[in-house]
Amino acid sequence: MPESIVTILDIAIGGLLLGGIYALIAMGLSLQYGVARVLNIAHGEFIMIGAFSTFTLYTVLGINPLVCLAIVGPIIFIIGFLLHQTLFTRLRIAAPNPGAYEASSLLAAFGLLFVIQNLALLGWGADFRAYSYLNFGVNIWGAIFSANKLVILGFAVGIGVAFYLFLIRTRLGKAIRSAAQDPQTASLMGVNINRVLSICFGFGALMAGIAGVLISMRVPLNPAMGLQYTLIAIIVIVLGGLGSIPGSFIGGFILGIIGEVVTHFEPSLSLAAYYFIFMLLLLVRPKGIFGK
Amino acid sequence: MKKRLLLIPLALLLVVSLVAIGCEAEEEKDSILIGASRPITGANAPIGDAAFGPIMALWEIKINDAGGIYVEDYGKSLPIEYIIYDDATDVGAMVRNTEKLILEDEVDILFSSCGTAFISAQAPVANKYGMVLVTAEGGATIMRDALYGLPYVFVNLPFSDHYQLPVFADMCAAAGAKTAYMITIADLHGVEYGGVAAMEFDRVGIQVLANKSVPITYTDFSLLVKDAMAADPDVFCVFAYPPIVIPVTGEMMVIGFNPPAVIMGPGGNFGFYGATFGVEAIEGVSCFAAANSKTGPEFERHFSELEALVGWPNLDWWGTPFYEPICQMWEQAIEATGTLDQDTLRDYFATHHFDTLLGDTYYEMFGEGGGLMVKETHPGEIGQWQSGIVEIVGGGDWPGVVLTSEWIYPKPPWPTP
Repeated sequence: MPESIVTILDIAIGGLLLGGIYALIAMGLSLQYGVARVLNIAHGEFIMIGAFSTFTLYTVLGINPLVCLAIVGPIIFIIGFLLHQTLFTRLRIAAPNPGAYEASSLLAAFGLLFVIQNLALLGWGADFRAYSYLNFGVNIWGAIFSANKLVILGFAVGIGVAFYLFLIRTRLGKAIRSAAQDPQTASLMGVNINRVLSICFGFGALMAGIAGVLISMRVPLNPAMGLQYTLIAIIVIVLGGLGSIPGSFIGGFILGIIGEVVTHFEPSLSLAAYYFIFMLLLLVRPKGIFGK
Repeated sequence: MKKRLLLIPLALLLVVSLVAIGCEAEEEKDSILIGASRPITGANAPIGDAAFGPIMALWEIKINDAGGIYVEDYGKSLPIEYIIYDDATDVGAMVRNTEKLILEDEVDILFSSCGTAFISAQAPVANKYGMVLVTAEGGATIMRDALYGLPYVFVNLPFSDHYQLPVFADMCAAAGAKTAYMITIADLHGVEYGGVAAMEFDRVGIQVLANKSVPITYTDFSLLVKDAMAADPDVFCVFAYPPIVIPVTGEMMVIGFNPPAVIMGPGGNFGFYGATFGVEAIEGVSCFAAANSKTGPEFERHFSELEALVGWPNLDWWGTPFYEPICQMWEQAIEATGTLDQDTLRDYFATHHFDTLLGDTYYEMFGEGGGLMVKETHPGEIGQWQSGIVEIVGGGDWPGVVLTSEWIYPKPPWPTP
C-alpha cells in the first residue's frame, strides 16, 4: 500500500481512537450537565477512579481489564447515583432557582474533585502506575496498530452506540430525554424527576469510569490525571451542543481526528488546536453543532 | 510612703523575673524546625513521592532515633521536626508556602520544593530572606547563571550539560552512531535537554534528524514513533516525563522500532518503568542514572533502605544518590558550626567539603553567589537496563566514577509478543 495511504490510515485510526475516548467522556458529562444540570468538574476524577481500579484488579487480582468494564462500570454508576441522590438533589431542592442550583452544584463538584483526588492519594499513593496489556502490533493494510488501541476503539464505539440506542429505544431513555427538554413538564407527566436526574448523573459517572478502564491500558496513571480529561470533555460538549448526546458522540470523534491531524504536522500544537476550536465555536456557533 | 518603698523592689523583682522567663523561653529549643513546600498533590506528586520525599522520611527516623543533631548554641542534641505544606504542584502556592515557612513558622532550615521550575522560583525567595536552600529535584543550565546572584542557593542534581549529555554523546559517537531523533516535552526540561543534546551531538558529529516537542497532556504517540522509525536514527532520545516516556516505549514495542540506542529520561530511571513492561522487555534501554547497589557498600545500604520504605518500583537510580547528601550535609554543617544561624551555615556550605554517600562532596562557587555540586562527585551519569536492573554504563573521566557494566550497543530487540 502506498505510504501516503498508510499515513492517512494512521491518522484516521489514531483520530478515531482518541475520538472514541473523548466521545465516551463527553457523553457522560453531557448527561450530567445537559440533563442533570451539574457542571461536574469532578468528572475526570471518575475516569481516574476507573483507571486505578482496573490497575489494581489487573495487577493484584489478575482480572482481565476487559472484564473490569463489567465490574468497575456498575460500581461507579452506583457511586454517581448515590452522590446525586444525596448531595446534588439536596442542593437542587434548596436552590431558589435553576441558576442558583447550577452555581451551587458547580461549587460542590469542585469540592468533590478534591475529595476524590485525595482519597485516591490515600488509597493508591501519588506514584505513577502503569501496566502493559495487549501491547503488540496488528497489521491493517500495511499500517501497524497496537491491539489495545483497536480494542479500546471497538469498545468506545460500541458502548457509545449502545447508549444512544438505549436513549432512543427504551422507556427510561425517553424519560431521560424528556427530563433534558423540560424537567417540570416531564415531572407533571409522571416522570420521577429526582430519580431520572440521579440515573443520568450515575450514567455520566459510568461513562467516565468505563473510559478510565480503557485509558488505563495505554496511559500511566496518577491521581491528578482527571482534570485534563474534564477540560477536553467540556470542549467536546460545547462542540457537539450542550445536552446533545449524539452531538457529544460525534464531537468527540471530530476533536480526536483534528488532534491527530495537527499532531501529524506539529505535535506541540495539538492542545492549542483544541482550545482554538473551543474559542472559535464560542464566537461563531455557541450552541454547538447539534445545539438547538 | 512605706508602702510605696515596698512596691518599688517588688516591681523591680517582677520585671527581672519576667525578663528572665523571657530569656529562658528564647533559649529553650526543643527541635530543629524544617520547612518544606512539597507537591503532595498535583502533577509533580509522583515525582516528589519517589525522589526527595522518602529521603526526608528516612532522615527524620534516623536522626530522631539517634537522639537528634547536636547544636552547640543550645548545648544539646535536638530532634528534627518537619512542617510540610502541599503546594499542589502550583508555583504560586509554593512561593506563598515558602514565605509562610520563613516568616510565620520561622523554620530553622528550608528544604527544597520539587521540579526545575519550582526550585527556580523558590531560589530567589529563599535568597531574599537569607535562608540557605540546598535544592533537590530539578536543575537547569539557566540556574548556573542565576547562581551568581543567589549566595544562599546550592544546586545538587546534575542536569543536561552537567554532565549527562556530554557523556551520552561521547558514548554514542564512540559506538559509531551517526544520527539521532528526539522527542522532547514542551517545557523547560524539554527545551533545555533538546537544545543541549543538539549541541553535544553536533560536537561529536552526530546529525539530529528531528526534535519533536509534545505537550505533557498528549497521549497517543503512534504517529510520532512511526515518524521516528521512518527516519531510521541510530539514537532515539525521549527527554520527557513518565506520562510520555511509558506510552512511547509501548508504541516502540508495538511497531518494532528498535534503534541501536534508546534513552528515556527522566522516567527510565525509576523502578516502575521496569515494572510496567517487565524488566526483560526493556533490556538495553538507557536512562540517566548515577549509582546502583553495586556502586559501593554505602549505595547498597542506601537503596536497600529506600526499597524497604517505598518498594522497588519507586526506586530512582538517578536522583536519590544526590538527595541523601543534602540531609547528610545539613547534619554535618550544623554539628560543625554549632549553630542554626543561616549566614554561618551558608559560609560553611560554600567553603567546606562534606563526607556523604557520594564521598568527598563540595560545591563549585559562582563568584560571591551560590554553588553547584561539582561534577566530580557524580559516580555515574548514564544507566542502562540490563538483566533486570539499571547498570551504570557511562560516567565522566574523573576519579570516583564507578561503572558497573559495559554499555550494550546496539540494544537487543524488543521481545516478540
